[in-house]
Amino acid sequence: MQNFASLPPLSLYVHIPWCVRKCPYCDFNSHEARGEIPEREYVDALLRDLEQDLPRVWGRIVHTIFIGGGTPSLFAHETIDRLLSGIRARLPLDQNPEITLEANPGTVELERFKGFRAAGVNRLSIGIQSFDEEKLKALGRIHGRAEALRAAEAARAAGFDNFNLDLMFGLPGQTVEQALTDIRTAIGLRPTHLSAYQLTIEPNTLFHVRPPALPDDDSAWEMQSRLQVELAAAGYRQYEVSAYAQPGYECRHNMNYWKFGDYLGIGAGAHGKITDASGIARLWKVKHPGEYLRTAGTAESFGGEQKLSRHDATAEFMLNALRLTDGFPSPLFQERAGLPISACEPELARAETQGLIEWNAQTIRPTPQGRRFLNNLLELFV
Amino acid sequence: MSGWNQERIRNFSIIAHIDHGKSTLADRFIQLCGALEAREMQEQVLDSMDIERERGITIKAQSVALDYHARDGKTYRLNMIDTPGHVDFSYEVSRSLTACEGALLVVDASQGVQAQTVANCYTAAELNLEILPVLNKIDLPSADPARAIQEIEDIIGIHAQDAARASAKTGVGVPEILEAIVRHVPAPKGNADAPLKALIIDSWFDNYLGTVSLVRVMDGRLKPREKIRLMATGRDYVTEQIGIFTPKRKPVAELGPGEVGYVMAGIKDVRSARVGDTITHVDRPADKPLPGFKEIKPRVFAGLYPVESSDYETFRDALSKLQLNDASLHYEPETSQALGFGFRCGFLGMLHMEIIQERLEREYGLNLITTAPTVVYEVATASEVLLVENPAKMPDPSRIVEIREPIIRATILAPQEYVGNVIGLCVEKRGIQKDMTYHGRQAMLVYELPLAEVVLDFFDRLKSVSRGYASLDYDFQEFRAANVVKLDVLINGDRVDALSVIVHQEQSQYRGRELAKKLRELIPRQMFDVAIQAAIGSKIIARETVKALRKNVTAKCYGGDATRKRKLLEKQKEGKKRMKQLGTVEIPQEAFLAVLRVDEK
Repeated sequence: MQNFASLPPLSLYVHIPWCVRKCPYCDFNSHEARGEIPEREYVDALLRDLEQDLPRVWGRIVHTIFIGGGTPSLFAHETIDRLLSGIRARLPLDQNPEITLEANPGTVELERFKGFRAAGVNRLSIGIQSFDEEKLKALGRIHGRAEALRAAEAARAAGFDNFNLDLMFGLPGQTVEQALTDIRTAIGLRPTHLSAYQLTIEPNTLFHVRPPALPDDDSAWEMQSRLQVELAAAGYRQYEVSAYAQPGYECRHNMNYWKFGDYLGIGAGAHGKITDASGIARLWKVKHPGEYLRTAGTAESFGGEQKLSRHDATAEFMLNALRLTDGFPSPLFQERAGLPISACEPELARAETQGLIEWNAQTIRPTPQGRRFLNNLLELFV
Repeated sequence: MSGWNQERIRNFSIIAHIDHGKSTLADRFIQLCGALEAREMQEQVLDSMDIERERGITIKAQSVALDYHARDGKTYRLNMIDTPGHVDFSYEVSRSLTACEGALLVVDASQGVQAQTVANCYTAAELNLEILPVLNKIDLPSADPARAIQEIEDIIGIHAQDAARASAKTGVGVPEILEAIVRHVPAPKGNADAPLKALIIDSWFDNYLGTVSLVRVMDGRLKPREKIRLMATGRDYVTEQIGIFTPKRKPVAELGPGEVGYVMAGIKDVRSARVGDTITHVDRPADKPLPGFKEIKPRVFAGLYPVESSDYETFRDALSKLQLNDASLHYEPETSQALGFGFRCGFLGMLHMEIIQERLEREYGLNLITTAPTVVYEVATASEVLLVENPAKMPDPSRIVEIREPIIRATILAPQEYVGNVIGLCVEKRGIQKDMTYHGRQAMLVYELPLAEVVLDFFDRLKSVSRGYASLDYDFQEFRAANVVKLDVLINGDRVDALSVIVHQEQSQYRGRELAKKLRELIPRQMFDVAIQAAIGSKIIARETVKALRKNVTAKCYGGDATRKRKLLEKQKEGKKRMKQLGTVEIPQEAFLAVLRVDEK
């Protein structure tokens, strides 16, 4: 039995499952919007869903909210306002919460962004992916270079001094120089946060069925090493595998995932993780938007629930926490996984022998080699 | 029932190439004689092991006693003895045939005669069996009976114009075959009053019954609760139960001359009841055993190692259980620096090896690494002659006076259009042509070949150069001096004993280079560069590098992703479990057989 001295911080994830068009690389729970999106009904469903989850988190404060998708920015700002008000009415929020909304260029207008800001959203995450017209086309994105640039400018103009740009590298036919040009353009827009993902072909995507020609390992590695240098020089510190931020602007919501904190997940297919005296549970909602709309707030809306065993908790803690450049303070393991760190001493010792972690009484953190071969490191714990 | 009049007994075997329809025909016979209810009929009753069914081959000999009501109004006891159908088991075939007076030669009417059938037919002819040709699959549109008949006459040299034409699948012509057996296969002519002589056709181990031996009584009578002696081993036992297979096991009061059935006599393992041995009575023994008993020796050797060293005990138990039932399986403990504790196992041939390996993995859930198969070499040093069955045990070259390798005499049958390819292959494999004759559209080639070349990939290559039409049979001939050397492999500078192979001097450079290349393809990229070297003695002859991976990271992982990403990692980890960790390097199982995949120059 795991043993918890205190409960971890709590976040809230809200999933909006619609997009204008499904991208060929995307394996998230997103669906092309056909006809009008039932915004009002969906927000009602989200709030019913939240009410049903409330007894699991009585009295706990929510520190961050992340509205992800899909493309949440498809929703009218009034809808987002109603959603956030509804959440505030049902849950105590931190005095200074981080509230992020995902936006895609092409659906953005300055007015809409201003509305989101006024509704209480204080961080935008913009899915730029690339500034290169040809690459955007290859990725099946609906926006072009001009829309991408405009989106970042609109974010700032709407009063978002804290925003993230999502970029990808290792794109079909991309050269190292092209990848660097994208990064430099992004840096030029002065976001507080940058995410740079290497494009990965996931199962159940169009790219998996018809794989595009991607740069080889050597060039992808060169892209990554060189963009890290560029980002560091511009003041963005890498704090996770794909996340870079100006000091103090690390994404609090994601940090909570990676530090194995708790979160409620509402919306179609949303996952939550909740700790209580009996242990850690994962729970998730039904995936399909239609079914979710019909069942939200009832027992039928649960896609499943799973108690984490000691082994599960260890594996999932490490899977998250070792993604962080700084690793984690050793006591955090007992605090979040509910087990003494000695429970995984043999694995830690092996990881250390292989040069994958540095380990002392205060901190456990991946070495540069461990960050580079994170999957080899994590395999020790799964 | 016992004491059948010999006049009414017919003992026969079926000789057929794999897939030519032997088992289906046997099923038809059983059905026609009403030995099993329809609901008991399972496809191919005789092949009882899973592997036998899947591969469509017979490994263990079996028999069925059928009561056939012939058209002359009399009832005959037909003993059908099923024989193993692969070159690896030719000794067992000869013992099965010795128990018969006749044999059906089943030939697929569209495919014609194949080498394996020829070899078995020659054996049958040498033993003076009456051979009745049967053209099977006559219902197929591609059937060409005239050509098949011509081939039987040309190659086997028996009269075939009157060959029965049948389709075991549809049942057409099958009753006529049974009639032909009654009419043409001679009745046994044993002497019921002479001292007992019963031939052991095969023995197997049953978990509940102990050793069960299939026997053919030649002279005398065999009954329960008698003291018997096995003449080759000289050991005595008391018979417990005597019976026949109908195909169900059925006890009888006695087995008289000419009869075929089983004996149980409290024998502990199949090694004590060897194929070909003679059973006689202790108080009235035969003066000499039946001829033809041979000690069978394994010809192909390989090291087998559990991937998980903790499986060693299970592995040893599994081998000892398999050996209970397979007197030709040899094994002894062996230690490899690279692979830890395992066993060097001896097999009759490549098929035998594959079957054993498959059974170990399937029936005992073992995860095994097999090293490249090798043959046994005679190594003469100044002071002694050693038999070396493991390349790692080859003495230091300075001590070796001469190495002799086993040579086989191979008979290959192939359609004329592929003769050029087959000869090319034999030359490449250091073969010496001994004979070449044409029989209709088929050519028969006789070659002396080093067994070492044959165990590697000869059979597969033969099939591929002939589009599957060529067939092969072989016999051990002799040990002959050969210019061979040991080729070693070093991984990150360490010699890996389990990867050593013995190769011919002339091919050693090429083989070394190719082996290193093949290993580079088989060993996955890891966190560090992996250096692969091939060496002869202290001389490095080839060098390859498996470049390190640049990175191995999952780009995204948020919230609910964790479960999914974890499953992916678990899968990867599971895949690596099938690899062997040598120092820091992970080597997949296939790498230990890489030498099999090295193509010839």
